[in-house]
Amino acid sequence: MRGSLVVLFTAVQMVGAPLYIHAQSPGAPQPHLEGDWVRVDPDGVNSFDGLSAVVPPAQLLPGVSAAAGRGGGRGRRGAPPTDPSAGPNPEGVPYIVVAQPCAGGGPGRSNGALLVNPDSGGVHFIEQKDEVIFAGERGGVRHIYLDGRVHPNPWTPTPAGHSVGHYDGNTLVAETIGFMPGGVPGGGVRSPQTRLVERFVMSPDGGRLTITYTWDDPKIYQKPHEYRYYFERAPKIESKAGKFSYALEEWCDAGDPIEQQPIVPPKQIIK
Amino acid sequence: MRRLSAHTYLIACLTVLPMSARLYPQEPSATPDISGFWELSFDSRSVPRASLLPTVTRARIDARAKKDAYAVRWCNLLGVPFVMDPGRPLDIRQGTSAIIIVPENSSAPRYLYTNRSAHISEDVFDPSTNGDSIAHWEGDTLVVDTVGFHGDRGITAIPGGGYRTDKSRLVERYRLLKEGSILSVTFTWTDPTVFRTPHSYEFRYQRLPATYEPRQWLSCDPFDQDRAKFLESPPAPSKSASRTVSKE
Repeated sequence: MRGSLVVLFTAVQMVGAPLYIHAQSPGAPQPHLEGDWVRVDPDGVNSFDGLSAVVPPAQLLPGVSAAAGRGGGRGRRGAPPTDPSAGPNPEGVPYIVVAQPCAGGGPGRSNGALLVNPDSGGVHFIEQKDEVIFAGERGGVRHIYLDGRVHPNPWTPTPAGHSVGHYDGNTLVAETIGFMPGGVPGGGVRSPQTRLVERFVMSPDGGRLTITYTWDDPKIYQKPHEYRYYFERAPKIESKAGKFSYALEEWCDAGDPIEQQPIVPPKQIIK
Repeated sequence: MRRLSAHTYLIACLTVLPMSARLYPQEPSATPDISGFWELSFDSRSVPRASLLPTVTRARIDARAKKDAYAVRWCNLLGVPFVMDPGRPLDIRQGTSAIIIVPENSSAPRYLYTNRSAHISEDVFDPSTNGDSIAHWEGDTLVVDTVGFHGDRGITAIPGGGYRTDKSRLVERYRLLKEGSILSVTFTWTDPTVFRTPHSYEFRYQRLPATYEPRQWLSCDPFDQDRAKFLESPPAPSKSASRTVSKE
């Protein structure tokens, strides 16, 4: 009996070994993150500016101006940022305005910059052993390399910087440097030397994703600036194909006269 | 006790190993991985002339060309088939539910879904410049079927002649050649409003080093008036060139 158990156990090991080895190999992709996600508002703030407002304020070093950081928490596409503490807009001023949203195939769709600070557009992950692609419905792609490469030096700063990553258990950890100077949610600032660490943490059931952002730069911050964004799996669409989520394509035609019109707050009808 | 331990161990192994398999799925070993950075060279395209229907007149082709120029002028998403020959390398990554094709420009990436065998219903899917792509493996060949194209948006011109419409169907066959150093993609377009017979052509992409770093997109500013003038006003021939032509 014992002998047969050993034979059976050995057979099971032989059958199962390739998968198990694959599971344990360093850098092996965890399948859980792959798919389609949308950002959610767990605090019920109900507005893009409100989402930015719940980001804790960055603790900047004396002499570091937060002015450059304004707009890092951009929620309104193309609209100038507003002070979240200013309260509601005056009567007649809309909350959502669009100012040439598709202006600039480069900066407009931002080479992946929007994915450093995702808005309400859907986001998508594809996981492969050497690279995770982080793509956005509103355009742009980030490449997170898992193949052991180091950040290039020299590197010309870019809107989304240069990202390398690894898995810490079920969590994808991405480290990014080489950003173009700009703003960070919570009144923070970034420079090409600023380091961003993102931890993509899945809920146990795989249905929720929390991204923890930690910005660190000894020339800018008194202490690392940390905040979180929350996501849920994109809704699955009922179709003849079954129930699936998939990446949508956001169309934005800069040549459309409607997209080119100046911002004129529409007259409000208040009864 | 020892026998009980062996039983317990066996049960544990039988339980854990299948769980591992579920948690960490991988493609069957026979399935190739086309992931990598791929680039077309000057001799990478084998494109015959398409056989077009008589209804595809010069006037229709010119009207299409005008729309394509508009898409370039206004930095629109350019879509398939342009995205497969964008002038820069493609980053292709093979995930567990889809394969993504990422160009180095502002065109949207393509998603080739391997987790479903049917297209999203027409009444649900919004036509797009890339369409809805589903993929499966036939031996060493990845077969991709795409429908759901938008008839007007992006660059619609198809290599060899013709253009994509909302009735177009594209079948692609991806296959690694020369020990994985070449990726052959055969494109076959059918469209009852454009092609007399299915139109097929082949691109052969060369694999770039794994250490390749995708570059930033080149700027495309639709509100750059100098750029607009450049695109909309072809240069007049120089006087000397005109004289040369008139002599002939």
